[in-house]
Amino acid sequence: MLSELAGGVLTIGSDGFVTFANRSASALFPGPGPVGIQLLTFLDLSGVSNGSALVEATRSRTASAPIRIGLAGGRILDTRSCPLPDGGAVVTLLDVGLYIHEADLARRDPLTGLPNRVELRERLSVLLAEFQRTQAPFAVISLDLDHFKSVNDTMGHPMGDALLVKVAERLRSALRPSDILARMGGDEFMILQSDAAQPQAATALATRLVDLIGRTYIVSGQILNVGTSIGIALSPGDGEDVDSLLKHADLALYRAKTDGKGVFRFFQISMDEEMQARRLLELDLRSALAFRQFELNFQPQVELDPRRLVGFEALLRWRTPARGLVSPADFIPLAEQTGLIVPIGEWVLQTACRQAASWSQPVSVGVNVSAVQFNNARLVQIVTSALNASGLDPGRLELEITESVLINSTQSVLEQLHAVKSLGVRVAMDDFGTGYSSLTYLQKFPFDRLKVDQSFVGGSGDGSKGMAIIRAVTALGNSLGIATIVEGVETEEQLAQVRAEGCTEVQGYLTGRPMDAAAAAALAAESPSPTAVQGDPP
Amino acid sequence: MTETVYRLVYYSHNRIVGSPAALEAGINSILEVSRRNNPLANVTGALMFNAGCFGQVLEGAPDAVEQIFERIQMDPRHSDVHLLSFASAPARAFAHWSMAFVGASVPDAARYGAIADDTGYSPARMESEELFKVLQRLALEDEGATP
Ligand SMILES: Cc1cc2nc3c(=O)[nH]c(=O)nc-3n(C[C@H](O)[C@H](O)[C@H](O)COP(=O)(O)O)c2cc1C
Repeated sequence: MLSELAGGVLTIGSDGFVTFANRSASALFPGPGPVGIQLLTFLDLSGVSNGSALVEATRSRTASAPIRIGLAGGRILDTRSCPLPDGGAVVTLLDVGLYIHEADLARRDPLTGLPNRVELRERLSVLLAEFQRTQAPFAVISLDLDHFKSVNDTMGHPMGDALLVKVAERLRSALRPSDILARMGGDEFMILQSDAAQPQAATALATRLVDLIGRTYIVSGQILNVGTSIGIALSPGDGEDVDSLLKHADLALYRAKTDGKGVFRFFQISMDEEMQARRLLELDLRSALAFRQFELNFQPQVELDPRRLVGFEALLRWRTPARGLVSPADFIPLAEQTGLIVPIGEWVLQTACRQAASWSQPVSVGVNVSAVQFNNARLVQIVTSALNASGLDPGRLELEITESVLINSTQSVLEQLHAVKSLGVRVAMDDFGTGYSSLTYLQKFPFDRLKVDQSFVGGSGDGSKGMAIIRAVTALGNSLGIATIVEGVETEEQLAQVRAEGCTEVQGYLTGRPMDAAAAAALAAESPSPTAVQGDPP
Repeated sequence: MTETVYRLVYYSHNRIVGSPAALEAGINSILEVSRRNNPLANVTGALMFNAGCFGQVLEGAPDAVEQIFERIQMDPRHSDVHLLSFASAPARAFAHWSMAFVGASVPDAARYGAIADDTGYSPARMESEELFKVLQRLALEDEGATP
């Protein structure tokens, strides 16, 4: 009888296993069919969204209201569960795809069953229209997951999707019926919170969500941890139309991210101004190469006893007619975030190699390379062509990398480092001693040189601690056969101290400020010819 | 048919505020729901409350444990849920309890267990294996543990 019904029917045993499926039900799902599998497992395997709501309903001892679930192919079913006397349940499945207007599908996110961006914008405009009448304030809350991309990358998209479904359910569990939750795309969600006193209600909700979303997940048997960052804009103060409210919530989210993630931030006018300034800076930075606004300065690296020039570190300078000299601290992070560091870094490598090749003494040149340049995978090729074009002896080029390059060290980064090294190029660890675990990185890669961070010399407070660290690092370098150089030496007194600690090379204002290319070439010309610079003989 | 058993161990901090009576009602309602839901999912386990913390073991099919744990994670009656372990186990340790309550009786736990002390078993200071063993031992000893 049941198997003749046009709609789909499943029966579920009291143990949660599917005991029967009629033909229409089986036809809805590809594969071997549900019988003999736990309903939850089956729905999970079939990629059904909102399936757990249905499973919940089958456990209830009363008949359920229709529960809408989404099939993997995008089909929408209305389902109902009725309890059976033996503790199990009958589930009916009705394909409502035919009845649902196309427009309704266009408003729903198929993965989570939540309203999508289109629907959210419309609900927001309704709230704004009502505000004219009610004068009731509301909050627009934007949130996304911290490090979601790495979950997707390392565990695969199906895991990422399953995680998003759980996140959506946790979000839903923390909301009141009057709140509107939407998935905007990827790992971005938006909440409209009305009918509550602001900003208290938004503060309370955001606090709860940071805690709730940050709790450990188990997804398909795997333990996952993600956090969330949240940005909040309040109507009417933070915007009077859909676009500005959404934009301002996102700006506040951006701030929460840069403030260290796992926090929430309310929108402030200054964020708008900062973003504007950032955008203008980015525009200028994009044209800086074409306008030839970059230049390189060179800071001498000096060997002690006897004092002798052994190399230069190339330092990037950016000068624009309107801005004057822009501090690297202001534009390097932006260049890294936007990926502009890749072409800029290529220019630096080429220019530094060309300059160094023109020096009359074969001293070395150090070039900073950031983590983003390693992601590019073309780094080895860029280094090779800079060396070829300039004719510089590879042994005179030293790449300076910081811990950030190795912190998420993938096989690919280590391979690139080894490839660079096999060209004969040296690799130095920059800012040594400031990271979390500089020592472990020494095991990961055979560095040629450690650059001891300047904070240990010039550092405020207890100078003797810094000196103790310099002594330890120098000794460490000696025993590992890695050269060390101390940065930031500014006074004769500091020089005497670091020398007493066994240090043999320094870089700092005392032994030479950064200088332009012509001055560097002149300094190289007058220095005695080096014998101590390592590398292949020319 | 041998079933696949996964065991999950966690501890969390109590967020039920109010009098011992409110706490007692809270714990009782958790037990009541657990004893209703867990048998349906064929999940067994034990719960304790001491030193302001819950400690719980859940065991059963991995997806069933996963699903109940996800519901527990969303529960505002506790916070700082520390998942100590989630791994396959040779067999159930609490086969006869849908959710045993172990240690003091519920009224006593509600009266005295809210206080963070150093004398009793603080779930927050135990490793996964230790917490599991304690819950198991108490469940076996404790006649008050209702199946
Ligand atoms: C410390 C603690 C332990 C819990 N243990 C369980 C449990 O083992 N099984 C369960 O179904 N619910 C447990 N709950 C309750 C769930 O969080 C949730 O309230 C309940 O599963 C909802 O069930 P219902 O939808 O049938 O009302 C626990 C809650 C807390 C705070």
